Amino acid sequence: MSAPTPNPHSPSRRHFLRTAGITLALPLLESLGSRVFAQNSTVGTLAGKVAGSSSPKRLVCIGNMLGFHPPAFFPKSAGANYQMPEDLEALKPYQKDFTVFSGLDHGVKGGHFAISSFLSGVRAIDAKGMPESNMTLDQRAAETLGGVTRFPSITLGSETGLHGGCLMSWTRNGTRVPPIGTPRELFRKLFVAEGSMGTAASLDHLDLKASILDSVHEDAKSLGSRLGQRDKEKLDEYLTSIRDVEKQIELRRKWAGVPKPSPGMTEPENRDFVSDLPVMYDLIALALQTDSTRIASFEIGGDFEASAFDLNSGYHSLSHHGQRPEAIAALIKMERYQIEQFARFIAKLKSIDDGAASLLDHSMVLFGSGMGNANSHTNSNLPILLAGGGFKHGEHKVYPEKGPNRQPLCNLYLSMLHRFGAEVESFGTSKGTLTGFA
Amino acid sequence: MRRRAWMGWKTGVSIANVLVASLVDPLQAETDFSRVKAYLTTYCIECHGAEKQKGDRRFDELSLPAAKADTLIEIKDILDQMHLGDMPPEESLQPPAAEQKAILEMLNLALSEGREKLASTGGTTTLRRMNRREYINTVGDLFAMNMDAFDPTTNFPRDQAEENMDNLGDVLQTSGYLLDQYIEAADTIVKKVFAHEAPHPEEHWQFKFGAVPGEKEGPKNGNGKFLHLYECMDTPNHEQGYAYIHQFKDGVPADGFYEIKVLVQAMNREHPYDPKIFGTDAREPFRLGIVPGDVRAGPLEMPQPLQPMLAEQALKDGDPAWHTMRVWLDAGHTPRFVFPNGPKNARKAWGPIAKFHNEKPGGRAPGNGGGIVEARRTAISEGKFPFIRIYETKIRGPIADQWPPRTQQAILGTIAFEPENMRKILQTFANRAFRRPATREEVDRLMTVAERRLSSGLPPREGLKEAMKDALKAALCSPAFLYLSQDTVPAAAGSNARPRLDPYALASRLSYFLWSTMPDGELLRTAQSQELAKPEVLLAQTRRMLASPRSNAFIKSFLDSWLNLRDLGSTPPDRNEFELYYAKNLGYAFKEETRLFMRDLIERDASILNFLDSDYSFVNQALASHYQLGDLGNPARAHEFRKVPLKNSNRGGLLGMGSVLTVSANGIDTSPVVRGVFLLENILGTPPPPPPDDVPAIDPDVLGASSIRDLLSKHRDSPNCFSCHQKIDPLGFALENFDPVGGWRTTYGKKIKIDTAGELPNGDQFTDVAGLKKVLLKRQDLFTHLLTERLLSYACGRRIDAFDDPTVTKIATEMPARNHGLRTLIEAVVTSEPFLCR
Repeated sequence: MSAPTPNPHSPSRRHFLRTAGITLALPLLESLGSRVFAQNSTVGTLAGKVAGSSSPKRLVCIGNMLGFHPPAFFPKSAGANYQMPEDLEALKPYQKDFTVFSGLDHGVKGGHFAISSFLSGVRAIDAKGMPESNMTLDQRAAETLGGVTRFPSITLGSETGLHGGCLMSWTRNGTRVPPIGTPRELFRKLFVAEGSMGTAASLDHLDLKASILDSVHEDAKSLGSRLGQRDKEKLDEYLTSIRDVEKQIELRRKWAGVPKPSPGMTEPENRDFVSDLPVMYDLIALALQTDSTRIASFEIGGDFEASAFDLNSGYHSLSHHGQRPEAIAALIKMERYQIEQFARFIAKLKSIDDGAASLLDHSMVLFGSGMGNANSHTNSNLPILLAGGGFKHGEHKVYPEKGPNRQPLCNLYLSMLHRFGAEVESFGTSKGTLTGFA
Repeated sequence: MRRRAWMGWKTGVSIANVLVASLVDPLQAETDFSRVKAYLTTYCIECHGAEKQKGDRRFDELSLPAAKADTLIEIKDILDQMHLGDMPPEESLQPPAAEQKAILEMLNLALSEGREKLASTGGTTTLRRMNRREYINTVGDLFAMNMDAFDPTTNFPRDQAEENMDNLGDVLQTSGYLLDQYIEAADTIVKKVFAHEAPHPEEHWQFKFGAVPGEKEGPKNGNGKFLHLYECMDTPNHEQGYAYIHQFKDGVPADGFYEIKVLVQAMNREHPYDPKIFGTDAREPFRLGIVPGDVRAGPLEMPQPLQPMLAEQALKDGDPAWHTMRVWLDAGHTPRFVFPNGPKNARKAWGPIAKFHNEKPGGRAPGNGGGIVEARRTAISEGKFPFIRIYETKIRGPIADQWPPRTQQAILGTIAFEPENMRKILQTFANRAFRRPATREEVDRLMTVAERRLSSGLPPREGLKEAMKDALKAALCSPAFLYLSQDTVPAAAGSNARPRLDPYALASRLSYFLWSTMPDGELLRTAQSQELAKPEVLLAQTRRMLASPRSNAFIKSFLDSWLNLRDLGSTPPDRNEFELYYAKNLGYAFKEETRLFMRDLIERDASILNFLDSDYSFVNQALASHYQLGDLGNPARAHEFRKVPLKNSNRGGLLGMGSVLTVSANGIDTSPVVRGVFLLENILGTPPPPPPDDVPAIDPDVLGASSIRDLLSKHRDSPNCFSCHQKIDPLGFALENFDPVGGWRTTYGKKIKIDTAGELPNGDQFTDVAGLKKVLLKRQDLFTHLLTERLLSYACGRRIDAFDDPTVTKIATEMPARNHGLRTLIEAVVTSEPFLCR
C-alpha cells in the first residue's frame, strides 16, 4: 500500500494548525510570511480582553431586512437631547446608552440585492473581487478570538421569505453562515449536551473526522487534476470547506471535556418568529452572560410576518407604502415592535453585572439594516444604532452623506473592531476609524 | 406579492423573448444601443452626468451592452423611474411617448440579456454536487436501506435553487457547515447499517386498552380506556388524530419489519347528524392507517415532519375485528394509528352534536351544555359521533429476515469479512459509491483511514469492523461520491467536436436525470462495456429507466423544478375558508394528479400538448368533489386515483389543475398578475421583466366595491405599466374563476361577478379559461420550446443559455412531426449534444 502523498501546502499542515490554535483563518495560498504575521497578531494573547481588565468585550449585530421608515427613525435634530422619533420611543429611558447615526452607508446600490452588504460593506455578488471577500463584522471579530469560547460566534435568523434565507453573516470565503432559526434550536445548541458521547468518545470522533478530511483532501486534489478551470473553481469550495472543518475540529477538541453551562431556564417552545423575538433576545443575553460566545448576529428576516400583527398585507408589501398613510402606519407598528424588543434587550444587558460594570458596558450592540429606504429601494443613509461597549453615547451623530467628509459605515465597524481588541488596519471599505466618535 | 416575481434574477431565453415580442408586438426591434445612448444624452445626462449626479445617479458612463452587475442595477434604476413616470421631471424636456416606449422595451431586453450573460456557464455544466434529495436516494440505494422514515440530512443547510431548479451545478454550494454535516451524516448512516452484531431476536408485545382495570391512556385520551381516533390527520387542534401506545412510546428496538395486529371497531359510520359537521362521506368505509412516530422529534399526538403512511386498511362495520398490517419501522419509532378519512375537526363537532342531543325531548337545556369537555362526553357516550376504537394491539418483530441484513449485504456482497479482504471490500464499495472504478490511490487512502483504527488497540474483530466503518464513512465524504463525475473522453484527433462524457459520467448523468439516484448494476455494466456510448444502447437504457417506478423521482422533482410544485402550501391556504384542503389532503392530491398525468404521457408517449388542454385527468373522490366532477362510484375506492373523462373544458391540462392554480396563488386570495406571470414564465417561456421596484403591489380588495379588474385597470392606465401588463394580466384574468386552491367560482364574495374575458396584444381574444387554452394551443411552439428547455436544463443540471439555443430549437421544431410525444422528447434530450458533453 502506498503512503498518502504529502500535502504540498505544508507537510505538517495539521500539526501547524494544532500548535497555532484555531485562530488562523487564512486563504489557502497565503504565504507563510503572512501566516506568521497573523500568528503574532492574535496568538498568545487572549484577544478580546483589554489588558488589565477581566471582562471581555462582546459584539451583537442585529439587522432587519427592510430598513426603517426614515422619517420615523431619524431624529430631527443633531447632537444630544434630541426629541425621540416615533420608531425609537421605546429607547427613551436609554437615550444615554446609545447613539443614532445619520449619513452612514456602504455606497452600494441594488435595493434588496445589496442588503447582504450590511455587516461587510461588500455585496455578496462582489465578494470574489475583495481580498477578504464579503466577510462580515461578526466573523472578522470572531477570527480574533481563537477558542476562548465554545462558539466563536452564533448567527440567528430565518431561512424563508423574501431573500430566500438569512443574509446577515458571511465568512472570509464568501459563504453564508446558516442561521439558527428558533429559540429551541438555539437553546439546545447553547445549553444541551450533544448526544451521549463521553469525552473519550467525542475526542475519538474528532480524530476520525480529521483522518477522513486527510483522505478526502487527497481525493479532491486528484479530482482537481482532471477538471477544467470553472470546475476547479467550484472544487475550491470543497477544499476551503475542508480547512473550515479542520479549524472547527480543533475548537471542538478543546471544548470536548468542558460541560455546557446551565441556563437557569427551561427549554422554550417555538412559536412564530414575531412572538419569539423576545425569547431570542433573552437567549442571546444568556449566551453572552455564560460566555458561551462573545459574538452574535441576528437577522429579523423573512419569518417576521405582518400577519402576527393582524395586518392583512405583507411586511414587504407594506414597506413599498407608496406614501399611503395606512400602509405607513402599519409599517411603523411593525418597526416600533422591533425597537421595543431591542430596548428590552438593552435593558436586560444593562441589568446584568459583569465584573465592575454592566454587561452592556462590555457589549457593543449594533442595530440597523442594509436597506436605507425600502420604498425607493435605496441603500444609502442606512438606519444605524449602536449601544453599549463603553463608547460615549447619547447623541444623534450626523455625518455628511456625500462630499469629501463622507465616512463609510465601515469606518464605524473598524472603530468597533478596535474597541473589540482586534488589531486590524482596515475592514471592508473602511478608510479609517469613524471620526468624532469614541 | 410573490417573491420570485421581483426577485427573479431572470435568465430569460433571449430567442424566446424576441420570438414572443415579435409575435406580440410587431414594432419590437432588437436593442439599438446608440439609440438608448442618444435618449440618455438628450433627456437624462444634464442632471445625471459628469457635472451633476442628482440622486447619486450618473448615466454618461453607462456601458452597453451590460457586462457588469452594476450596469444592470443602473439600467434597473432607469427603468424604475421611467415606469413611475417620474423621470424626466415635468419641468425638463419630455420625450415623445413612442420613443419612451421603444426605449423602455430596449432597456428591458438589455437587462435580461445582460443578466443571462452574467449568469452563463458557457454552455457547460459546472461540477455539480448531489442535492439533498439525490443524496438521500443515493444512500438508500448504496446501502439497500429503507429511507422512508430515515433522513440523515435534516441538519444540512438548505440547497440553493434558482428559477425553482434545485440541481444546478454552479448554484449548489459546498461550505464547511455542509461538509461537517456530510461527515456527521456518514457517521449516522454507517452506524445504522452496523447497529447489530447479530440478528435481533423477534419480540412480542401485547397491549390491551379496554380490559386492563385502571389502565388509562393518558390525559389526551380523555373519555375512554380505549385508543380512540376522532379526526383526520391535518386539523387545527389535534383532537386525537394520532393514537399511539403510551407504554410503547420509545418504539421498536431494531430496524425491521413488524407485524401489527389491531383489534379495532368502526364506530357510528352512519349517524343522524348533518354530514357537514364532519366533512366526510358516510358511505365510505373508515380507513385505518399506520404512520411512524418518533418521540424525540416531537409530541406523538401531533403531526411530525417525516411520517409516511406505512399501511392502510378499510374497516368493516360491526363488531370489533382483528386487522393485520406489516410495516417497516426504524429503531426508536413507534407505530401510530391514524384515520385518514376521519372527521375534519373533532373539536368543532362536539358542540353541534351535544346541541343535537340536548335539544331533544328529555335532553338537557340547550345552550350551556357544560363546555367543551361535557359536549365531548355527550358526543362520544350518548351520541353517535363517528370514530375508530382500538381495543388491543399485538406487535411482533423484527420479523426474521436474512442475516447479514440487506444493508450489510450491500457492502460485503459475497466477500468474507476477514482482515485480508479489507481492500477488496473497500474497492468494491468505492466502485459503487463513486459510480466508476475507484482508483488505486483512492482505495489506498480509504485503507489509510482504516489502518488508523486497526492500530488503535481494539480487540481484533471489533477493530476490523470499526476500521471498515471508518473507511466507509470516509468514502461517503469524498468528492468522488458527493460530486457527479465530469470525466470526458478526448475527441478524436483533428475533430473539433466537444469532448463527450465518458461512459461512467454519462451513466451518472442519465441516472440522476431519470431516477435522482446512482446508476443501478445494469446501467453500470453498459458503462463498463463502453456500450452506453452507442445511441441505441443509450435509448434502450432510457426506456428501461423511464418504465421503472424509480422514474417517479424524476417526475416529482422535474415538476417541482418546472412548475415550482415544491412550494405548494408554503403560503398555507386559509384554514377557515379552505377547511377541506386540509381534511382531504388536497395538497397531496393536487401534486399526485399532476404527477400521474405526466407519468401517463410518458407511458403512452402521448402529446405534451395535453399539458395545455386535455379532456381527462387523474383524480380521487376528494379531488373529483373539489373539481365538481360528481360521484365516482364505489365509496370503498374513494381514496384511489383513476383516469376520468372531463365533462367540460374548464378543467383539463395544467391550467385546470389544483397544483398549478394553488402554487400561483397565496392561499388567501388570487392575483391575475401573479398567475399571468406564472403562465408567461412556465407555460409560454416568455418571462416578463421584473416589476419596477417602486410600484406598490396591489392589495386586492375582493370584499369591497371594486374588483381586482378595476384596481388593475387603474394600474394599467400608465402606458409604461401597460406595455408589460397587457401581456400579463389577460392571462391571469382568464384564471380568475379559480379560487386560491383551484376551486371553481363565478363571483368574488357573494356579489361581484367575475369577468374572465381578455385580449392579448396580438388581438387573440377569449372569454374564459377554455378560450385561453385554445389560444395557448395556437402557440404550442412556444410551449414546446419552453418544455424542451426545462427538460434539458434539469437533465444537464445547468441553466440553458444562448449557447444551447440551436439544440433546443432543433428538438422543439422536430416535435410536431413526432406527434409531440413526451417520451420522444425526453429521448431527444438524452441524445442531444449538451446532454452527452460536459
